Amino acid sequence: MTALVSPVVPETIPSATPYLQMRGITKAFGTLLANDHVDLTVRDREIHAVVGENGAGKTTLMNILYGLIHPDSGEIVIDGSPVRIRGPRDAIAVGIGMVHQHFQLVPVMTVAENVVLGQEPGGIVVDRRAAVRQVGELSERFGLVVDPTARVETLPVGVQQRVELLKILYRGSRLLVFDEPTAVLTPQETDELFEILRGLVAGGKTVILITHKLNEVMAISERVTVLRQGRNAGELETAKTSPAEIARAMVGREVLLRVERDEAHIGEERLRLDGLKANSDRQLPALDGIDLTIRSGEIVGIAGVSGNGQLELAEVIAGLRPVTDGHVFLGGEDVAHQTTAERRVHGLAYIPEDRQARGLVLPFDVKDNLILGSQSRPPFAQRGQRNSDAVDERAKELIQRYDIRPPDPEAPAQSLSGGNQQKVVVARELAENPKVLVAAEPARGLDVGATEFIHRQLIEQRDHGLAILLISSELDEIFSLSDSIAVIYRGHIVEVVPSAAADRERIGLLMAGGTIEGGTPSASQVAQAAAALANEPPGTPPVESAHQ
Amino acid sequence: MRMLAAGITPVLAVVLAIIVGGIVVLASGSNPITAYESMLVGAVGSPFDISETFISSIPLILAAYAVSFAFRSGLFNIGAEGQLYMGAIAATWVATTLSDWPGLPLIIVCIVAAMAAGGAWAGIAGWLKAKTGAHEVITTMMLSYVAIDISHWLLEAGPMTPANAFGTPESGPIPPQAAFPVILPSWILPNARLNASLFLTILAGLVFAWILWRTPLGYEIRAVGLNAKAAAYGGINVARRLVIAMVIAGAFAGLAGMVPVWVQMRLYDSFSPGYGYEAIAVALVGKNSAIGIFLAGLLYGAMIHGAVAMQANANISGFLVQILQALVLFFVGAEVLIRWFLRRGGFRALAEAAS
Repeated sequence: MTALVSPVVPETIPSATPYLQMRGITKAFGTLLANDHVDLTVRDREIHAVVGENGAGKTTLMNILYGLIHPDSGEIVIDGSPVRIRGPRDAIAVGIGMVHQHFQLVPVMTVAENVVLGQEPGGIVVDRRAAVRQVGELSERFGLVVDPTARVETLPVGVQQRVELLKILYRGSRLLVFDEPTAVLTPQETDELFEILRGLVAGGKTVILITHKLNEVMAISERVTVLRQGRNAGELETAKTSPAEIARAMVGREVLLRVERDEAHIGEERLRLDGLKANSDRQLPALDGIDLTIRSGEIVGIAGVSGNGQLELAEVIAGLRPVTDGHVFLGGEDVAHQTTAERRVHGLAYIPEDRQARGLVLPFDVKDNLILGSQSRPPFAQRGQRNSDAVDERAKELIQRYDIRPPDPEAPAQSLSGGNQQKVVVARELAENPKVLVAAEPARGLDVGATEFIHRQLIEQRDHGLAILLISSELDEIFSLSDSIAVIYRGHIVEVVPSAAADRERIGLLMAGGTIEGGTPSASQVAQAAAALANEPPGTPPVESAHQ
Repeated sequence: MRMLAAGITPVLAVVLAIIVGGIVVLASGSNPITAYESMLVGAVGSPFDISETFISSIPLILAAYAVSFAFRSGLFNIGAEGQLYMGAIAATWVATTLSDWPGLPLIIVCIVAAMAAGGAWAGIAGWLKAKTGAHEVITTMMLSYVAIDISHWLLEAGPMTPANAFGTPESGPIPPQAAFPVILPSWILPNARLNASLFLTILAGLVFAWILWRTPLGYEIRAVGLNAKAAAYGGINVARRLVIAMVIAGAFAGLAGMVPVWVQMRLYDSFSPGYGYEAIAVALVGKNSAIGIFLAGLLYGAMIHGAVAMQANANISGFLVQILQALVLFFVGAEVLIRWFLRRGGFRALAEAAS
């Protein structure tokens, strides 16, 4: 809630000896040098960001620090004395704790049970009451709002992350490592996390933040270590640097952080949704009468807190979720009850939100993934037979045009980096000259370079007349790409505004279900918005926050 | 090269199984060299043995294609046994009913009947899976029992039992003109039993690979098997592909059921020694590839036939063969172990390839 409440500014106390030093860390996997004489120096009580593109060696470095991987050479020094970390147990013993990207919680157990797991208070019988009390105290001390008696599976992701954090605080860690902590969070949860991090530092902890999001680096860290291709590529003071400089260090060249785009040349109507209704997986109404029109040459961005129907919207348009009522007009024809294959023939393309679960057949090689969706149509299929020449030719062409690496059509898709996997999806979806593209989270999890590339492709296609529906939980992405922004809230399109006239705060409020009749929102509206943005289940009153 | 790499695990599994099996023989007080020697001689030591080894192998190979084809679509077809019974029944019924037909058309009709019956039987499980989500492990298994019991009913003084059967549970004879031609010339082996079903098996392997790798249908079936969500996203009708995959799988099994009947020239009650179950192992050892399954099937057939000679000549229990088969399967399953051996032996690249 930083945007709304004034943030706690930590008092940093610079000290002579750095708290943590990793010197000359080298680790090879086969022929790949994941870490090549990497140095990392972290001062006491600072928030230190470790940034780099995917595959730059950040995670390897942190896994070495946590004892999950053993380096080939190099040393780790804590508080001036060298330590040997042979496993997580050693790491915990010297005060290192790690919040993993994928939570390691037992869903059916309570918060307190999860936190004390492995170090339960009491003798043979676990003293549950003591556990609840200790966890309650701990969460109060560090301003982590969480009910110790709640079952973990009932909690939103942002709160589950706090439970992970409590776990390592419970074990007395002084150095807290966060591996891409914001990847699973909404923007508002991210703000809350940052406030927590500041509180931790104020309380004497030291934080290492692994990320590739530059705005986060700028917002929270004091110093930045940049890695590129397994080597140090810079150590910067956040206050004295700029996102552009960090990006340059990360990628090794100039990067356009904001895509340039000319005015849209809007043409005829391509996709029109008319009173569209659909259910969620649990058969509850997820879309409640969506009306939306997308025309040739424009990008319409769907802004919304995740879980308000965006996912279902994309799937309904793609024909992967049944329409319960309403129409989907694709190029003037109602395709609401057509199959996915028929819609593809009609010029629909779809970049799904989860490339690994839906967008790719991971064990398939690149060339087979590049024809998914067109496999039964000429030129790839002729008289019931596969036309291997056409498949090879398409692969060669797309690999070159989209610079997919490695440029091997027979490499299994699962061996590619996230950015290259996404390039495969994007290349394939654009290859059949679609009329409408639904792009859901097109840059999720991608690094700066890959994001820039994907965004440029989208803009280029828009300039060539493609109608694009962009669904993203990153408000930055929505703002930088969209020509108009449609706000979705609980399965309704609340408002559609031209992005030039759109105001961030107003969009944020609409995302949270607020309605504004001009003027500034009241304090209670803001509180409500914040609560809704933090992924509270709709209908519950906003929780009183206990930030001191 | 990739194919070679894929073959490393099974080959090493066989080697390890032979070593461990040898230790077992040694522990039981016999000479492993003698045991293996007599088994090898028993399996391929003479034209007769080679012919018989093939005869043991062919139904296993065909049934393993049935297991594997379904597996490529993500389904565990563990009921190849039942599909094989249905194929045998249908082919026999056609042959005995149309016994006045000339040879070639009769053979073709019998083959079609066997494949159609096996395909239909497996198709039921596929349809249940697609429509209701009923798990194919349960349905194919249960349908196996049904098929086997149907064969009991038909053959034990039932509709297919001839009047002159004297209480033997069997069908009437397959008309001689419907027989597969014998492919070993009599100067090599008089009265050889190995027949043209071997070519049919090779053809089946080619068809298996062709469908999977050279047709859009095969692409779609593999896509469904590896990631059904992505397949649906790619416009593939997942339910329909599952049914088709099961039908094709069952067709292989139906053929597997016909072949042994066409060796004995009569459908006997309980004619299958469990080909459909053994085939699951063959499919696994063959790593679900056409060539791999063919070779694995030959290996299993050789072990089965070689066991007879080993038992007679070296006086070692034929159960050694079952131990060996189990060990091969165990080591194929224990790929991690094999990779570990490779790494320890300094074959890092091979270990990666075998993964």
